[in-house]
Amino acid sequence: MKLRRSMLFVPGDNGAMLSTSFVYNPDSVMFDLEDAVSPREKDSARLMVYQALQHPAYRDIETVVRINGVDTPFWQEDLEAAVRGGADIVRLPKTETAQEIQELETHVARIEKACGRAVGDTKLMAAIESASGVVNAVAIARASPRMVAIAMAGFDYLVDMHTRRSAGWEPELFYARAAVLHAARAAHIDAFDVVYGNVNDDEGFLREVQIAKQLGFNGKSLIHPKQIDLLHKAYAPTEAEVSHAKRVLAAADEAHRKGLGVVSLDGKMVDPPVIHEAEMALQMAEAA
Amino acid sequence: MKVIKEAIAGTLESSDLLVKVAPSDRGTRDVVIRSEVIKQFGKQIRRVVTDTLDKLSVSGGSIVVEDKGALDCVIRARVQAAVLRACEANQLEWERLS
Amino acid sequence: MNATADFYTVHPKDAPAEREDIRRLLAANDLELDDQIEVFVVCRREGRLVACAGLDHYTIKCVAVAQDLRGESLSLDLGSEVVHLAAARGQFHLFLYTAPHNLPLFRGWGFYPLVEVPERVVLMENSPVALERYCDSLRAQRRPGKTIGGIVLNANPFTLGHRYLVEQAAGACDWLHVFVVKEDASMFSYADRFALVAAGVKGIDNLTLYPGSDYIISRATFPGYFLKEKGLIEASWAAVDLLLFRDYIAPALGITHRYVGSEPFDVVTRSYNAQMKQWLERAASTAAAITVVEIPRASLGGVPISATEVRRRLAQHDFRAIGDLVPATTLEFLERRFPATVQ
Repeated sequence: MKLRRSMLFVPGDNGAMLSTSFVYNPDSVMFDLEDAVSPREKDSARLMVYQALQHPAYRDIETVVRINGVDTPFWQEDLEAAVRGGADIVRLPKTETAQEIQELETHVARIEKACGRAVGDTKLMAAIESASGVVNAVAIARASPRMVAIAMAGFDYLVDMHTRRSAGWEPELFYARAAVLHAARAAHIDAFDVVYGNVNDDEGFLREVQIAKQLGFNGKSLIHPKQIDLLHKAYAPTEAEVSHAKRVLAAADEAHRKGLGVVSLDGKMVDPPVIHEAEMALQMAEAA
Repeated sequence: MKVIKEAIAGTLESSDLLVKVAPSDRGTRDVVIRSEVIKQFGKQIRRVVTDTLDKLSVSGGSIVVEDKGALDCVIRARVQAAVLRACEANQLEWERLS
Repeated sequence: MNATADFYTVHPKDAPAEREDIRRLLAANDLELDDQIEVFVVCRREGRLVACAGLDHYTIKCVAVAQDLRGESLSLDLGSEVVHLAAARGQFHLFLYTAPHNLPLFRGWGFYPLVEVPERVVLMENSPVALERYCDSLRAQRRPGKTIGGIVLNANPFTLGHRYLVEQAAGACDWLHVFVVKEDASMFSYADRFALVAAGVKGIDNLTLYPGSDYIISRATFPGYFLKEKGLIEASWAAVDLLLFRDYIAPALGITHRYVGSEPFDVVTRSYNAQMKQWLERAASTAAAITVVEIPRASLGGVPISATEVRRRLAQHDFRAIGDLVPATTLEFLERRFPATVQ
């Protein structure tokens, strides 16, 4: 089971960060060719990411490339770099329709064939950054078998909604978060919460992490390495949760050994989703 | 590829490099490398730069590299970017860039 | 999210408020805002101006970083931005003046020192090999001889006075190397001036004519030469240009003597001639001293021939008078370029 708690944003044009971000051990590294890179440097950043993707240090970390949007002149070459470079996932920003994902998939398949990569090997994720994206989230999440995750991007979305971030429970993001989450769960893919931009405010960051975790997000997009550990610890199950998870898995093992079709614990039936949850809890406990 | 104009790529930051490519009036290929770690890594840097230029079939030009301790993959990328800019290449031939 | 988002460019002449902020940051760093700067790269953090670097053609000037942010990579980001800005403007060969104690900072920018006016200023360029390569190309043109002369001409335009100077110098030397100032900062373009010099020195066999260079009376090496205000003349004003000549240009060609026409009119040129003796003959240097020879100007009817006079007559379309001051090749050019309008 691939843990996707932390997705660390790494500007594609930054030599120092490309060279070191793997040491922080995020669950995924996202090389950014979009907002982090000025138009003047798009060509140079693309080559940086293409080369970095092939560095041995990134072999064992899930790599994501955020290409430029389909309304820019950059995305097709970005896609070549990402697929040929061996990125695990291509992240499409500002996704608004299922067709965009399908068009992307066609191009990805073409490039995979051209470079000898197994067709279907490159996965996709969509970033929702507008009202249209939110209302189309379900269709987007289901648009392709390559879809593995859907992310909520707060900044552009709030501009589209004519509002701005607030403290507390952040009502301005409530519907979008819920919609994206439901789309993810209906499509059986992962969901990422918004970036928290104030790197000097750990308290605010953790408050937002609690919201995301409570809502059920798999993880969060991060812009600073120090947010990784904070996030992993916040997502780590409590001791009580860990012991409970161990008991659930022990019960499942026993049922399996005895050839029983049904798992029970403390007199109650334990459904497969609960067993799955227990496995995830132990995995997160180990990885915290 | 033919170098037809001057171009630069990269930055002066740590772990990066600044690459300048210019047409050569002498028809030769000249590579000049400066680095804070020239003693330990000079040969390695030159090997990566030369290999990258060879794969792009750059036979003539003046290439000056100001290295700030970059990894091989970063050196490759910046040299490629500077060369492609200097050759005004619009279509990338990905086989030459690996 | 990223560092480069904080950087942007400012045209000081069009942005008075920005210019004031820049002036203040420079003042805090003991620098004055140079009016020749065409564009600045600046960095703001949370609305506060924290770094700036200016470009005057291909010379970087007025570099400042806020005191509290020194030691960060801010300076390197600034350097990257200004180098990229210059490249976008088609300027790849860059120069920079700085106080000697800042040398290490600008080495980090990929700049290398060329000459130093002791304890005053260092001229740097953004290449470890450019000056060296230029000298290599000069060395290939060396000629044998005991007395090798050098002349630098602006020739705006080429007059009989220039011809006289060149003839006198060539007569006194085994070989004469003549350079034409390359900046397009005079009434006549470099291309025209060079063509007129080439036509005007025909027949003098022991002479090599060189195109202008960034290293000989250029905006980079001798900015004061191109400024209209004469009040900026002081002791080290021409030093950098002359030290480059003494330490690099002259040794490459084996130049032993530098020839100049005496300067009765122009204050800027007269001061330059005086400083020539200081920096080429007397100043301490590892390179050999060069003898400066001042040749009295050719005159017509007791009046020294000057390009200024030619331009004055040109404004009056007085081609008869001009004909006395310039060779036929220059006269033909002027008549073609400035045909008299029908009255």
